[in-house]
Amino acid sequence: MPFSWEKRLTPSKFMLLAVPCIALLLSLLFCGVFLLITGRDPVEIYVAMISGALGSTYGLSETIVKAIPLMLCGLGISVAFRMQLWNIGAEGQLYVGALAATWLPLTFPALPAWVMLPLMVCLGMAGGALWAFVPGILRARWQVNEIITTLMLNYIGILWVSYLVYGPWRDPKGLNFPLTAQFPDAAILPFWGTSRIHIGLLLALAIVAFLYVLFNNSRWGYELKVIGSSPKAARYAGMNITRNICLAMLLSGAICGLAGMTEVSGIIGRLQPGLSPGYGYTGIIIAWLGQLNPLAIVIMSFLFGALQVGGYMVQTLGVPAAVASMIQGSILFFVIGAEILTRYRISYTGCKGGRSDRE
Amino acid sequence: MATPFIQMQGIVKRFPGVIANDQVDLTIYPGEIHALLGENGSGKSTLMSVLDGLYQPNAGRIIIDGEEHKFGSPRDAIACGIGMIHQHFKLVEPFTVAENITMGAKNGDFWLSTEKIKQEIIGFGAKYGLHVNPNAYVWQLSVGEKQRVEILRILYQGSRLLIMDEPTAVLTPPETAELFSNLRRMTEQGCAVIFITHKLNEVMELADRVTVLRAGRVTGSMERSQLNPNQLVQLMVGRDLAGRSKPIQTELGPVVLNVDQIEVLNDMGRLGLRALSLSLREGEILGLAGVTGNGQRELAEAICGLRHIEKGSIHLHGEDITNLNPSAILDQGVSYVPEDRLGMGLVPDLTIIENLLLKNYQQPKYSGRWLLHAKAIEENAAALVEKYNVKTPSLHQPVKILSGGNLQRLLLAREIATIPRLMIVVYPARGLDIGATNDIHQLLLDLKANHTAILLISEDLDELVALSDRIGVLFDGRLAGEFPANEVDLDELGLLMAGSGQTNGGEPNAI
Amino acid sequence: MKSKYLLVMLVGLLSTALLLAGCGGTDKKTSAPAAEKTKVAFVYVGPVGDAGWSYAHDQGRKYLMEKMPDVQTTIIESVPEGADSERVITQLAEQGHKIIFTTSFGYMDPTINVSKKYPNVVFMHCSGFKTAPNVGTYFGRIYQARYLSGIVAGKATKSNVIGYVAAHPIPEVIRGINAFTLGVRSVNPDAKVKVIWTNTWYDPAKEKQAGLSLLDAGADVIAQHQDTPGPQQAAEERGKFSIGYNTDMSKMAPKAVLTSAVWNWGPYYVNVVDAVKKGTWKSEQYWGPMKDNIVGLAPYGPMVTEETKKAVEDAKQKILSGQWDVFTGPIKDQSGAIRIAEGTKMSDQDMLQFNWFVEGVEGTIAK
Repeated sequence: MPFSWEKRLTPSKFMLLAVPCIALLLSLLFCGVFLLITGRDPVEIYVAMISGALGSTYGLSETIVKAIPLMLCGLGISVAFRMQLWNIGAEGQLYVGALAATWLPLTFPALPAWVMLPLMVCLGMAGGALWAFVPGILRARWQVNEIITTLMLNYIGILWVSYLVYGPWRDPKGLNFPLTAQFPDAAILPFWGTSRIHIGLLLALAIVAFLYVLFNNSRWGYELKVIGSSPKAARYAGMNITRNICLAMLLSGAICGLAGMTEVSGIIGRLQPGLSPGYGYTGIIIAWLGQLNPLAIVIMSFLFGALQVGGYMVQTLGVPAAVASMIQGSILFFVIGAEILTRYRISYTGCKGGRSDRE
Repeated sequence: MATPFIQMQGIVKRFPGVIANDQVDLTIYPGEIHALLGENGSGKSTLMSVLDGLYQPNAGRIIIDGEEHKFGSPRDAIACGIGMIHQHFKLVEPFTVAENITMGAKNGDFWLSTEKIKQEIIGFGAKYGLHVNPNAYVWQLSVGEKQRVEILRILYQGSRLLIMDEPTAVLTPPETAELFSNLRRMTEQGCAVIFITHKLNEVMELADRVTVLRAGRVTGSMERSQLNPNQLVQLMVGRDLAGRSKPIQTELGPVVLNVDQIEVLNDMGRLGLRALSLSLREGEILGLAGVTGNGQRELAEAICGLRHIEKGSIHLHGEDITNLNPSAILDQGVSYVPEDRLGMGLVPDLTIIENLLLKNYQQPKYSGRWLLHAKAIEENAAALVEKYNVKTPSLHQPVKILSGGNLQRLLLAREIATIPRLMIVVYPARGLDIGATNDIHQLLLDLKANHTAILLISEDLDELVALSDRIGVLFDGRLAGEFPANEVDLDELGLLMAGSGQTNGGEPNAI
Repeated sequence: MKSKYLLVMLVGLLSTALLLAGCGGTDKKTSAPAAEKTKVAFVYVGPVGDAGWSYAHDQGRKYLMEKMPDVQTTIIESVPEGADSERVITQLAEQGHKIIFTTSFGYMDPTINVSKKYPNVVFMHCSGFKTAPNVGTYFGRIYQARYLSGIVAGKATKSNVIGYVAAHPIPEVIRGINAFTLGVRSVNPDAKVKVIWTNTWYDPAKEKQAGLSLLDAGADVIAQHQDTPGPQQAAEERGKFSIGYNTDMSKMAPKAVLTSAVWNWGPYYVNVVDAVKKGTWKSEQYWGPMKDNIVGLAPYGPMVTEETKKAVEDAKQKILSGQWDVFTGPIKDQSGAIRIAEGTKMSDQDMLQFNWFVEGVEGTIAK
């Protein structure tokens, strides 16, 4: 191969700005060719996609609605990932958080909102935290691989929700359908005007600020960083690794649990199966693309929210869902692929007589 | 000598922010052993990686047998008869010797004739004195044997130039002697050898010619007949090291550390320390000699609370610290410079500032209950880097980009800055060049003058003799002997290190 | 430091997107469709190619297009039942659709929510129980067709074990299993119906696997309540029989499918759209019987005997006459206790809340 990859020590600023934009254009071009071949007008489709997600107040508000759970999951995951704890159980933590939060309005429907909502937030976070703590303690004490345990607990968490809504928590007035009763108004998160943007957005942004300070300026954040980079060095520096693994998983799960709470209380208004279309898994991609940086995760979750909101709008032009998914997928593919280019460069290293490139 | 085999002309290799090689010329003749001498970070390894095709130079030419070549990958280099053996062997442990040797070899049929290959390997072995059983699995081999397999692999690929990156670093003295004689035999067959090292005695013993690098440039090149150790040192470090540091006699204070009959398990779950006792006083340096793997790491980790003590006790200033947790022992003023600098002592991906914070991030000066005091932390880091002469482009760089000497200075800076009452130092100068070694030694002596008790664990007898007040020998988890430094008999030490009077095996490691 | 660059990059990315969005806004008017056509939208839970539930609805839509050329339709497929559906329905209403059919139970709350904001749009929700002045519900008495298909299965089985791959233990599915079992045992009192829950609507691989498990357990006819023909493929593979659901599944498994209990939404969709256009539409809860042709049996496979066809035809006439319905007593539950007394017809209300199995079903309902 006459080409080779060279790692850039410091990514070039110009590339950082230019590459994703070029990647976006390339992916649109790529899909455009495909759409033209299949006899559709790509411009019309892109316009529908982008204006659906960002072009109107409603679209924009829905993009934000979609971004809230994605952001919370991405943030929660980033806490664990910073310590090289591969928590892929955000989906289950979200479900258990939703479950725990639901318990309160079902049991004490008469509570006033100022008691109900804070308690639901606490319960949701506690539920998610518990669901992450189990793999955390197993990992910290007995080196049980957390990838497996968190993944398995996803299924258990989701099935618990199914069990409750099909069984004990089923709405007696719901004709035996798998739904809990609708929450009383006091258990519904306040929202802005006529949009569905709920106060969960503020909670998420508060967590962003909290994590930003935690990661960059706090003692505990420093410990997380050291343990994540080199557990040996952390032990040598006298850090308590077992405790920190548990704490990191607790925090990670609590944030994902909050995502579940805000979904049931802010959007759906009751507990039901199929409450999350994979937010916990998309959150992994978001955390990763955001390089575990809280601010970048915010931006990434809006991007993903916009992609998903826009994706459905494309269908109104008669494009099948599969093609919409393909467009979403290839945009991601190009952007992720291009991200490598900002860290590496390709150098031409032709055989005899070729010139290697310069800085 | 005949026409040159390889000529590297005006090689320039830049890394972001660093020029690793600046207009380097190097000529290799057939059948010579060419030593490439230089301090760590002087650009030796980079230059050889260019020759091996691993890196592409930013400028310069490589001429082989009078013809210019461009290497895109090590494969191209192999095709031109150049093979390199890295410090970390690239062998596949679960495979046999024969499989490892033939792996990646282009010549030969698709279906390898195992019998033929084995015969070939045995043939090569006989020719160069490289005896290995082709049927043995690599994981069964000793380090020296693995190195032989690496050499055989390079020869099997048809290489005419063998590049070896610090080959003796991992070898015992007898193995080193054997390697040298094998290399001699290879050059007699017409092979050229480039030998990367920073050990003067090896150059004196082995090299036909020497090229000395300093800071990416060639500072000198000479024939065997012209070799002169003092001049070589000057070329390498650019300063006169005639006045080596001598221990300052300090008054010994009260006992700081008292280790009483401790037993500790090693990583395999067997006894790593057997009823070991020692004591150490203020301002004293106790040197512990011994071949690696005789309990050095276990002892250091047991004192620091990183390893569980099964039996016995450890007292620090009369207080029992047996099996306290590491942070409690740290708080008692115990510093530890571990053998594993990058990974345990320092965190490769963290910045210099963050690494300097590792031991004192809990101090009120640097953090409150929750938040870090960024300004104080950065000022402290800047002061330490300045004071201990750590060379770095920025405080915000990850430490993994630093050279070995700078890493060690950084590590010592941090450990000394805590003003320890007890300092445990393991192999402090291993892999460092002369300049850095002297710096490190001076730091330890300064610390001693400040009344710190120092436990110096080393395999370098010169270092031990130069620094220690007393020298003990670790063998098989026991303290096999102890002498005042001025009464040390190197031969006797060697015997003790090899296992109390048994003459076979290790010779004294004196240089 | 790294993160700062990343941020710069992301901001750049987002602003590019916004820029494009801005361009998009101005283009919008040119692509406005002809206004005189009535715009009708359908929201599907699965892909239209699922050969099952969503496919059947889409066949209905095509029928509508054929019969009413002045209608323009839009479909959105694969819409999850959570937070996304409310947005999709809103955007369809926003785009000027006059009638929106939401074809999955989980769209119930979102449909009601959106209907409040668009009082001039008619919403039709399939299979739910909540209505509003501009929201009607519709469904069909598929259990009647299932009863008939049960007769076919009961005649065909030799092992007297019939497998039933079922999605979720909700009243609709339980009702179907019960009706099917009553049909089976009306012609073959010794036969049993074994139920496996998949807890999915749309997972072809899992549903096929469930069918294979039932075949392994001795079943020789496989019936199902899913959105895909996965269980049919299991029967086809093993050379056993099956009863399809949603649409005529003989295309997917020609050797296995005896018949299918099918939906025929088209005529109903035409009625609704027609009523809306004429201004006669009123919110109601429509539960269409076989008489309205909204449910029925697909053509028989060649292996179905004349005798079977005769038995089915007799039962069909009984149902069409309105004199008798499937859940007419005496009906026993799994414990053998009589739940519906002789001569009593089960009320619609009770049928809509079905949460017990009739005698002859082997399976449990999670409580």
